[in-house]
Amino acid sequence: MFKGKILTAGLALVLAAALGGCGNGSNSSDGASNSPAAKGNSASGSGDTSPVTYKYFSFGAPKKQILGSETTIGKELQTQTGVDWNIEYLVGDGDTKAGVMIASGDYPDIIDSSGQMAKLMDAGAFIPLDDLIEKYGPNIKRVYGPYFDKFRQKDGKLYFFPYGANIGYVSEPNFQTGFYIQRSILKEFNYPKITTLDEYFDLLKQYKDKHPQVNGQDTIGFATFAGEQGSFFTLQNPAMHLAGYPNDGSTMVDMKTHEAKLVAGSEYQKRWMQKLNEANAQGLVDPESFTMNRDQYLAKLTSGRVLGYFSYSWQVGDATNNLKKAGDDDKRYVALPIVFDKGIKDQYIDPPGFVNNYGVGITVKAKDPARIIKYFDNLLKEENQILVQWGIKDQSYAVDANGRFTYANDEQRQMHEDPEKSQKFGFDYFNYSWPRYGNNSVLEDGNAYGPGNQPEVASFGYTEGDKKLLAAYGVKTFSELFSNPDERPWSPAWSIALEQGSPEQMFITKADDLQRKYLPAMILDSPANFDKNWDDYMNQFNKLDKKTYEDFITKKVQDRVAGKW
Amino acid sequence: MNQTHLFFKRLIQQKTLAFMCIPFVIWAFVFKYLPLWGWTMAFQNYKPARSYSEQEWAGLKHFRILFEDSTFYRVLRNTLVMSTIQLVLGFVTAITLALLLNELKNLIFKRVVQTVSYLPHFISWVVASSIVLTVLSPDGIINLLLTKLHLLDKPELWMGKGNYFWGILGVTQVWKDVGWNTIIYLAAITSIDPSQYEAAEIDGASRFQRMLNITLPGLKPVIIILLIMNLGNILESGFEPQYLLGNGMNLDYSENLDIFVLKYGLGMGNFSLGTAAGIFKTVVSFIFLFSANHIAKRMGESRLF
Repeated sequence: MFKGKILTAGLALVLAAALGGCGNGSNSSDGASNSPAAKGNSASGSGDTSPVTYKYFSFGAPKKQILGSETTIGKELQTQTGVDWNIEYLVGDGDTKAGVMIASGDYPDIIDSSGQMAKLMDAGAFIPLDDLIEKYGPNIKRVYGPYFDKFRQKDGKLYFFPYGANIGYVSEPNFQTGFYIQRSILKEFNYPKITTLDEYFDLLKQYKDKHPQVNGQDTIGFATFAGEQGSFFTLQNPAMHLAGYPNDGSTMVDMKTHEAKLVAGSEYQKRWMQKLNEANAQGLVDPESFTMNRDQYLAKLTSGRVLGYFSYSWQVGDATNNLKKAGDDDKRYVALPIVFDKGIKDQYIDPPGFVNNYGVGITVKAKDPARIIKYFDNLLKEENQILVQWGIKDQSYAVDANGRFTYANDEQRQMHEDPEKSQKFGFDYFNYSWPRYGNNSVLEDGNAYGPGNQPEVASFGYTEGDKKLLAAYGVKTFSELFSNPDERPWSPAWSIALEQGSPEQMFITKADDLQRKYLPAMILDSPANFDKNWDDYMNQFNKLDKKTYEDFITKKVQDRVAGKW
Repeated sequence: MNQTHLFFKRLIQQKTLAFMCIPFVIWAFVFKYLPLWGWTMAFQNYKPARSYSEQEWAGLKHFRILFEDSTFYRVLRNTLVMSTIQLVLGFVTAITLALLLNELKNLIFKRVVQTVSYLPHFISWVVASSIVLTVLSPDGIINLLLTKLHLLDKPELWMGKGNYFWGILGVTQVWKDVGWNTIIYLAAITSIDPSQYEAAEIDGASRFQRMLNITLPGLKPVIIILLIMNLGNILESGFEPQYLLGNGMNLDYSENLDIFVLKYGLGMGNFSLGTAAGIFKTVVSFIFLFSANHIAKRMGESRLF
């Protein structure tokens, strides 16, 4: 199957070479960037709004393919600029799609790279934007200006727009990530304050002993999502969170020395594995955690049988929404800031950072880059940023007497929360994956940029159960359960780009494979064999070149701290 | 001289046929021969979107990486074992089913069985693998059945045991494709002269003897041709089922060449390594195909060419 694809790719290449000849030689990307810019210049000298449709392709989470103008937001933006988008999402495997796209050179006008940025940059898929921004981008400069140095590429030019250019800072009130626990347990034990991993598993055990069955099915103590190919980090990451580090990918970075140490093979990982191994011996761990796919995982979480699980909120959005819709507050979950020992300060909330390894860029195949840049610039006007986040006044949000944005009724809330309505209005398509303010931004008038960050909106959506739980813990919002993030100027380290095919990339692929093989087996084996299993794993692990990787990340972190992104 | 003369005479006689062939010759050339040019990628440090003259030549580097990697031998073993299982099981079950179906006298029942058995062929692997995962999950029907029958004390995590993987995959593939594979044998059976059966019946051959001495020999040419063709694909153990059913715990047994290429080739943007693995596969397939064909020829059996 792949042979076929590679051969086809080869053919496309040969044809391209034959047709393009030498004229399309070394500086193809430069040539492409200059001429269309010039062309765009003449074609759209002053606010050309003739109707045109461009292609937008996203490697992000799959959604329905749509014409931008079929949504309320897309229609409004089309009225302003005349530009419509044929928005398409990845179907199937991203690596393969990117490979084929690159080999054939068949790019849409703009691409949201998601995880494929390194590959696309390597292939010279994007045009440099500096000149265009200089000419047409006053708003781009206003929003991205302070961050330019963080996403300049090696040649000193800008090629794409990341999504995290924060203007001001407001934190997320409904933060939910980490060790989730079913609310009925907290209720049953009268809302105990638990902070350590031992207490957490102890509570799960007590409850499971009392209630061995839920709705006629066996109760599941603890589950996580490490079965699917790309989700194994769900099992790897808790070790660093438990030790009091934020999500820095595969490493933990020392606050003082800025040295990056691998999570894999660390004492923290051993401790985390040992706890799971113990819990498994007590029948608390769902062995299917390591084999099930996403659908099965989400179905399990909504069944009410699972007492606790570890996940990031974005992994389980569907399950949490469905549970909320079902209306039984006791069967819903709340995430707690669990750590190894008392006294460790939890760092589940990401520190303000800048993710610079993905974004949306204009490709070398774009017909009129100048017009697209103008579209982006128009999109970054504050009124349009309100449009993509809050929508239209009195339709999808209301403004109270103090000028604060909020929802006046459930109908307005549903425009944002109901998947179908949010698709129709266009929030789903336009509120992310475009040049935009960062999530934690504040609007000029003091309102939060994202509805999710507006305290008024957060409390509007709280159910009776939410309010009771928050009151029991003496807080007003869920994020108050967690510690505030410490400043980490390199954050997040997971956005450090590894070069394609480099030793570092080779190492991390091999290390992940090794962990996928050893860790689940280690957890499910009897505790008597744990030390032996761990030694076996470490033996294999130590054969890999972990030093190169750690040195590489350390250097990049130190560069970032020094301001060199 | 006479030879060429004859050739042109026949060419002119059959000019319509010759003309009809031209599009397909072009098609074969463009899609099957021109892409061979892409093989040069395996000998370069290939970077996409650069012209051919700018590529950096790397000699046999990528082949060396491939053959020096211990993972490669593991995935090679998995590929060979899985496709052998698939080949043997596929043949045995399909031929058996065809023979059994052929003996059925009740036409309606025969049609129903045939339809039901080939339906799974039309389900995509994504759906099929979800069905398999659900059936084999700790709360799934298999575990329920086995525990209720007291054959198992507690539910088994079937997908978490590497040594079960090949078996599970084999059974899954049979379930999915047996009906489909049967069709060609059923078609071949209809071409067997019915008078042979009648003669055998008069001679007092039982049903089983007829099956063994008439139907099976009648199928032999088809079986051998299919076997030769499938041997050519010995390194094509499939990609989707392994990718979708595979997880960390059965990694040692589920990862095959295609997944290896995806991970270390396409996944890392290392197209050269992927091509090198592709060439390796082609060479092995070529050897298998030709030796099988040669053996068939030696044994005086029907063959591919």
